[in-house]
Amino acid sequence: MTRSFVFTNHKGGVGKSTSATNIALGMVQLLRRANATNPRVLIIDTDSQGHASLITTGRKNYGADDSLYTVLMADRTNAPQTLLNCITQSQWDPDLHILPASPMLEGAERELTGVAGAPYRLVDPVSKIANQYAAIIIDTRPSFSLLTEMGLLAATDAIVPVEPRYLETVGLTSVIEKINDIREGWRHPTLRVSGLIVTKMDSRIRGHNHLLAEVKAHPVLGKLLLGVIPANEAVSYAHSNHQSLFTYNPTASASKAYMQVVASLVRYLLKGGE
Amino acid sequence: MMARPNHDTQRMDDLLASVTSDLLGELPQNLNGNAIHVERILLEMVRPDPVQPRRVLPESIHLRFHQNQITPTQALRELVQIVQIAARHRGRPFNNLLELLPNADDERDDEPVATLTPEEVFLRDLVNLATTIRDDGQVNPLTVVDVSQGVTRLFRIETGERRYWATWLLRDFIPNYTGDGMIPCIVIPANHSSVFRQAKENTARSGLTAVALARQAALLLLTVHGYEIPTYAVENDFYRQALELDLRGKREYTDAVLSAMGGIKRSQFSIVKSLLRLSDEALEMADRHSIEEGKLRYVVGVPAEYHAELVRQIIDFNLSVKQVKELCEGDGSEQQVNDEDDVSPSAVKMAKVTQAIQSTTPQEFARALVRQEGDTSIARARLQAMKKLISETERYLGED
Repeated sequence: MTRSFVFTNHKGGVGKSTSATNIALGMVQLLRRANATNPRVLIIDTDSQGHASLITTGRKNYGADDSLYTVLMADRTNAPQTLLNCITQSQWDPDLHILPASPMLEGAERELTGVAGAPYRLVDPVSKIANQYAAIIIDTRPSFSLLTEMGLLAATDAIVPVEPRYLETVGLTSVIEKINDIREGWRHPTLRVSGLIVTKMDSRIRGHNHLLAEVKAHPVLGKLLLGVIPANEAVSYAHSNHQSLFTYNPTASASKAYMQVVASLVRYLLKGGE
Repeated sequence: MMARPNHDTQRMDDLLASVTSDLLGELPQNLNGNAIHVERILLEMVRPDPVQPRRVLPESIHLRFHQNQITPTQALRELVQIVQIAARHRGRPFNNLLELLPNADDERDDEPVATLTPEEVFLRDLVNLATTIRDDGQVNPLTVVDVSQGVTRLFRIETGERRYWATWLLRDFIPNYTGDGMIPCIVIPANHSSVFRQAKENTARSGLTAVALARQAALLLLTVHGYEIPTYAVENDFYRQALELDLRGKREYTDAVLSAMGGIKRSQFSIVKSLLRLSDEALEMADRHSIEEGKLRYVVGVPAEYHAELVRQIIDFNLSVKQVKELCEGDGSEQQVNDEDDVSPSAVKMAKVTQAIQSTTPQEFARALVRQEGDTSIARARLQAMKKLISETERYLGED
């Protein structure tokens, strides 16, 4: 079974798109290095801002014919074929594929309100092509909207990127509760919170160290901690060059930290999600 | 100021290497094995092989489907329309495909299969297969070759094209489909694909027509001679390239080719291959109506412009091998030309017959014809040939 990782947090700017895209690329490269028959990874960008689409494909002007919006609006029978038609190759790696977002997704929520089965309009077609990929990475918008719910329903694993700040960590439990609500309320028992990534960590700041120590000591959050990504200017330079962090600067501290997270997730994949 | 990017392939490798060593030890066989495996694949990602010698759809639909002019659903809709028209002409109109299936309460179902058109028989069998899949599930997976390129995920059918069409029929034309649009497939990596295995699968099954066998022979010959097998629909001329080839220069492949053709002899292989000399129209009719090789080998011997007419007569009058032989070889002798006066003796005889036409009644002529040929079917075939000769003679006189 292909694992689908949704990167979610209702707070913006915590590194969801950065984590989703770089981890996706890392998975492709690590799987290929391990001679996996199928190293392909698909990114689904559900954020109408389209940051993940922009940095991986170099464009964000996707519209009614070639984006996630097209899939959500397609006739149910044709949705899988529409999905196949809309998936595009990233500029980062031939085996990293993207279902790009569109600014039109803003209106999609309104258009789909009241449409029967609307929350399942992503998971239904995605489930039919999932086995063509080693993993699926879903990037979400910074809110708990219909599109985020769709992302959660299409996922098997939720990963929560979080900054080491007081208000962020206070909000963390509400994020996890929300994911649990989706699991119970939508009867999606296979969804689970599989990881926590602390991003933009600055060890020179005492507050960051204190909060990280608290997370590590927490009986639940401590076990979920997948990795700590240091604040690193290479990240923003990589973005502005539309490059992955690994390509832009493989020796950067953030690259090394992300690669450790990738290794953990690939190991998780190899063990069949156990 | 922007920092200078630090592109370094070696460093990237080092980064990957730093986390790979643990993983390689844990890698399960199914992840890095290049083995044959079974997957459930979305129907839209599976396509029949355009050069598969065995035709499932009628030729015109086959070509347009493989040229991406029509979707699988449209292809089936056209097939259903063809069958509906044929069925209406024969007084068996139907609105629902399930009406094609045998019904114990309906006396019309006792009608022999021979009275149905090939398309009716095919569609009826396909509906039957579709309902079996609906009721019992797809027990037997298709065999497909992974021919994906880039983001285009595509699997080409090596065996199981009927099951593929039956699943489309079930999804889009038959009520109460509860499936999810996926089909189980045995996936063969592209480098394991083999035209020989496909040939063996084809020849091992009943119902492979002589024309399909001829295409099969051509495909094998072209392969062993290093021709590139296209991935798009081809006309008969593609297969006809094999008429110029033989197995003499390819001794190392001879056994494999003959074995893939069902263990036939080399002489029979040549005869089968020679069927590709038939005209396009004759090939299509012979394929649709499954005309045997024993009959077609005589048709190949006459000029190409008569092929379609002869095949039509074989179908209409259900001629035996002996009758076809007489018809074809007889026609050949009549066409021999006397070089001395440029008019054959048989033409002189025919001309004399026209003078005696007033003293003959149709009944007498019919009796004489049956007595001469010993069979009504052959007598009819002779008349058909005569009609054609008369109409062409009239045209010739008009031109003069």
